[in-house]
Amino acid sequence: MLAKGVKRPRGEMEGGDPEPRDPSAAPASSLFNISMVKLHQSLRHVEPNLRHLVLVANTLRRMQDQMQREAGGPMAPDSPEAPSVGDDLLLSALDSSISTMLEDLGQVEVLSPARPEEEQPLAGASGARQELARTSAPCLGPLELLSSASYLLEDGLEDIFEDIDTSMYDCDLWSPTSLSGFKAFSGAEDSDSKALAGAEDRLDMSDLDYLMDVLVGGHAL
Amino acid sequence: MGGLLLSEFTRQHADTLSAPQMTTFSPSTHTQHTPSDIISTVEFNHTGELLATGDKGGRVVIFQREQESKNQPHRRGEYNVYSTFQSHEPEFDYLKSLEIEEKINKIRWLPQQNAAYFLLSTNDKTVKLWKVSERDKRPEGYNLKDEDGRLRDPSMITMLRVPVLRPMDLMVEATPRRVFANAHTYHINSISVNSDYETYMSADDLRINLWNFEITNQSFNIVDIKPANMEELTEVITAAEFHPHHCNTFVYSSSKGTIRLCDMRASALCDRHSKFFEEPEDPSNRSFFSEIISSISDVKFSHSGRYIMTRDYLTVKVWDLNMENRPIETYQVHDYLRSKLCSLYENDCIFDKFECVWNGSDSVIMTGSYNNFFRMFDRNTKRDVTLEASRENSKPRAILKPRKVCVGGKRRKDEISVDSLDFSKKILHTAWHPSENIIAVAATNNLYIFQDKVN
Repeated sequence: MLAKGVKRPRGEMEGGDPEPRDPSAAPASSLFNISMVKLHQSLRHVEPNLRHLVLVANTLRRMQDQMQREAGGPMAPDSPEAPSVGDDLLLSALDSSISTMLEDLGQVEVLSPARPEEEQPLAGASGARQELARTSAPCLGPLELLSSASYLLEDGLEDIFEDIDTSMYDCDLWSPTSLSGFKAFSGAEDSDSKALAGAEDRLDMSDLDYLMDVLVGGHAL
Repeated sequence: MGGLLLSEFTRQHADTLSAPQMTTFSPSTHTQHTPSDIISTVEFNHTGELLATGDKGGRVVIFQREQESKNQPHRRGEYNVYSTFQSHEPEFDYLKSLEIEEKINKIRWLPQQNAAYFLLSTNDKTVKLWKVSERDKRPEGYNLKDEDGRLRDPSMITMLRVPVLRPMDLMVEATPRRVFANAHTYHINSISVNSDYETYMSADDLRINLWNFEITNQSFNIVDIKPANMEELTEVITAAEFHPHHCNTFVYSSSKGTIRLCDMRASALCDRHSKFFEEPEDPSNRSFFSEIISSISDVKFSHSGRYIMTRDYLTVKVWDLNMENRPIETYQVHDYLRSKLCSLYENDCIFDKFECVWNGSDSVIMTGSYNNFFRMFDRNTKRDVTLEASRENSKPRAILKPRKVCVGGKRRKDEISVDSLDFSKKILHTAWHPSENIIAVAATNNLYIFQDKVN
């Protein structure tokens, strides 16, 4: 989502101490540096403060225009404003940089769960458009959630279910061997155990039905 | 109201019966500066009886003015905590992997139509309608359940009785009645209730949506300034408000220092404004920061509906709706900062969003500044005053002393020099009672309430 950082050779912007252009008494180059840092810091957020971003970008463009105007006009050899070759490259890269960064923000909306429709059929002779911003609750199934949020997959899928209590499924009661034991136990005390005659070693539907009856019905154990 | 224009303000005094308490109201019971206690919005309701604050932690605290009592005339209706509730919680947006802040950006009251109070509160993404109501009676003597709520055995009931309402200790409940979500891609900066009391609007950086209070799953988009290509983005919406009387009219301000007035009757999508307010740039003051300091942080209609007031970084401007090419009045809030813009840009203070308010009669306007200072301008006499909201400098019921910032040269005894100003103490949010000279000033995590001096 971030555009490539604009790399500047180290000594490039430090040619002397340029005369400040505004009453704030600071070198234009350092303002430029500060602005670039702000721009990048702003874009590091997934949802940058748009107002801050736009104002900084516009300020950078102003500086760029100023520098280009300086470059276009007559220059004294020792003029502090004279941009070096590095500056020219920088300035041209700047504009496309800002454009790319802002363009990336347009992608933000694609990911957004709900958004007023972009295209709306023109309604009425006057051509008035009415856009309904329909809310769509992000009804993500678990699989969709997993595929889009990579942070969940960091430690493997198993970790997601760590907190679920699986003791119910670990119960030995339900293993085939233990069930026969259960049958024997219930058979000893329930008159209906005769119905299970001949089926002691198999787990079949009648066993399960019987178990359900025991659990749900009024049979005493 | 005349004659009380820039009268002396005194800070409200807390209960004198108990041990000396903190006379500043803080949403939290702690006095430490926990970030979640920072007040982010302040708003009186339409009668001034209630005062709501929202904070960074998503909480709303409502204060109620106590009835004036003949026995204690010196305590002219002070404000006490009435209700506290958690309006918004932090949310996690899984698609973007980011946390949505619970900070309350704005609170707006609805006019009272029955015994309950209603307010809208919003964070960056979601607006909620809250109902605040009182319960001072409860029914007793049910037939089918006993006093503890346990069901009684029907066979044991031999006679029927009618439940009666008995008084109980007053309980104030806040319940969320509507949640208006999923309609804003960008961060909501404003909400405004329409004068029809049926609709309201919410504005984010690039769009404004119109809602009906009864419908939460739909809103109408009435302004959209998002460019087709985001790389062409150069301007964002910074504030929006409905006209106080004309339900079809609203204004919105931009980061480029312009205000657009729109009429919803003209077209459904108000992309074309009816009026466009912009002051031409002063060439002598041009700098790299011209645009940033012209960015409007707040826009407010006057109570009369004839004027709008805008706040940019250094000034407050009053505009006549009938004159688009320049404001009719401009007030300098802290012009001494003009020579400091570079440092203020470096530390991001230049992006601070100050709000502004009218008094009830539209004769005085107020806005905040740094060092816990706030300023009032009398539009008629052209007098202005700087006051400070801080415990050290204003004892309860003491008259607020005017402050002065020294701009250079010899500093007088009571003055403070520009370089000594504390830029971390900013007053961004203030409110003025709709009819009386009572003001609420939020200084970080403290709320100050000042009333004009009783003669």
